[in-house]
Amino acid sequence: MTGMIQGGWEFVWVAYGVTWGGLLWYAVRLRTMERES
Amino acid sequence: MSKRWESWTGLVGLALIVGGHYVGLFVAPPEAMMGDVGRILYAHVPTAWVGLVAYLAAFIAAIGAMVTGRATWDALVEATVEVGLLLNVLLLIQGSVWAKPTWGVYWTWDPRLTTSAIMVVSFGAVLALRRQIDDPVRRLTLSSVATIIAFVNVPVVYMSVRWWRTIHQDFSSPETVSSAMVTPLRTAAFGMLFLATSFVVRRWRLGLKALEAEFEAPDLPEPVAPLRIEE
Repeated sequence: MTGMIQGGWEFVWVAYGVTWGGLLWYAVRLRTMERES
Repeated sequence: MSKRWESWTGLVGLALIVGGHYVGLFVAPPEAMMGDVGRILYAHVPTAWVGLVAYLAAFIAAIGAMVTGRATWDALVEATVEVGLLLNVLLLIQGSVWAKPTWGVYWTWDPRLTTSAIMVVSFGAVLALRRQIDDPVRRLTLSSVATIIAFVNVPVVYMSVRWWRTIHQDFSSPETVSSAMVTPLRTAAFGMLFLATSFVVRRWRLGLKALEAEFEAPDLPEPVAPLRIEE
């Protein structure tokens, strides 16, 4: 375990938040486009 | 054609991503050097893999559009480039967030990062180009050529960690990733593939509908006289 980076969960949550946020944003965008077409 | 299959594909993809991310975040062991920060792997690597697959599909669609001149292929170019670009942008943000605790900086001009950034700019330019051209035939031709040119960089992105000295880690595969990490990684990757497929098919239908409406729309009559602005 020597040399292992300690902590850093905040970076993990930001990365996963951006991923899920981006996918959700695109899903909503597609839904809106489908309703308008 | 029923739209249900792509909805189910999307839902299955979503479930697999949730499962893969859950195991990656809460069950898999911390990475030997990066600790818990290494858990970003389960979001980052599937995004990268599927983004490259989307660009490969765009390249094939662009060749199909060039050869046949059909709107079906043209709409597929637009759909695959758009979904590929979404994943590409997410990839760069995830990578920057991961770089800070591991490399000490959010960004560095490493070959893998630089070529990935070029990929965003070049495929973003394809979509921008499409929006600038009104003539559907001209748009099909120019955006297909632009997609093929942009794709030249994709194998370079993939191979960049082998071709150049880089601080980015090597390919993530069962040979380079611990067995405890392979299952959540594969699960999330298949989930991302299914979800992205659902996105592409839905976007493809929308694009095709818009192109068909464009082809069916009557041409506006030529103005009888040039327009003038009265002073």
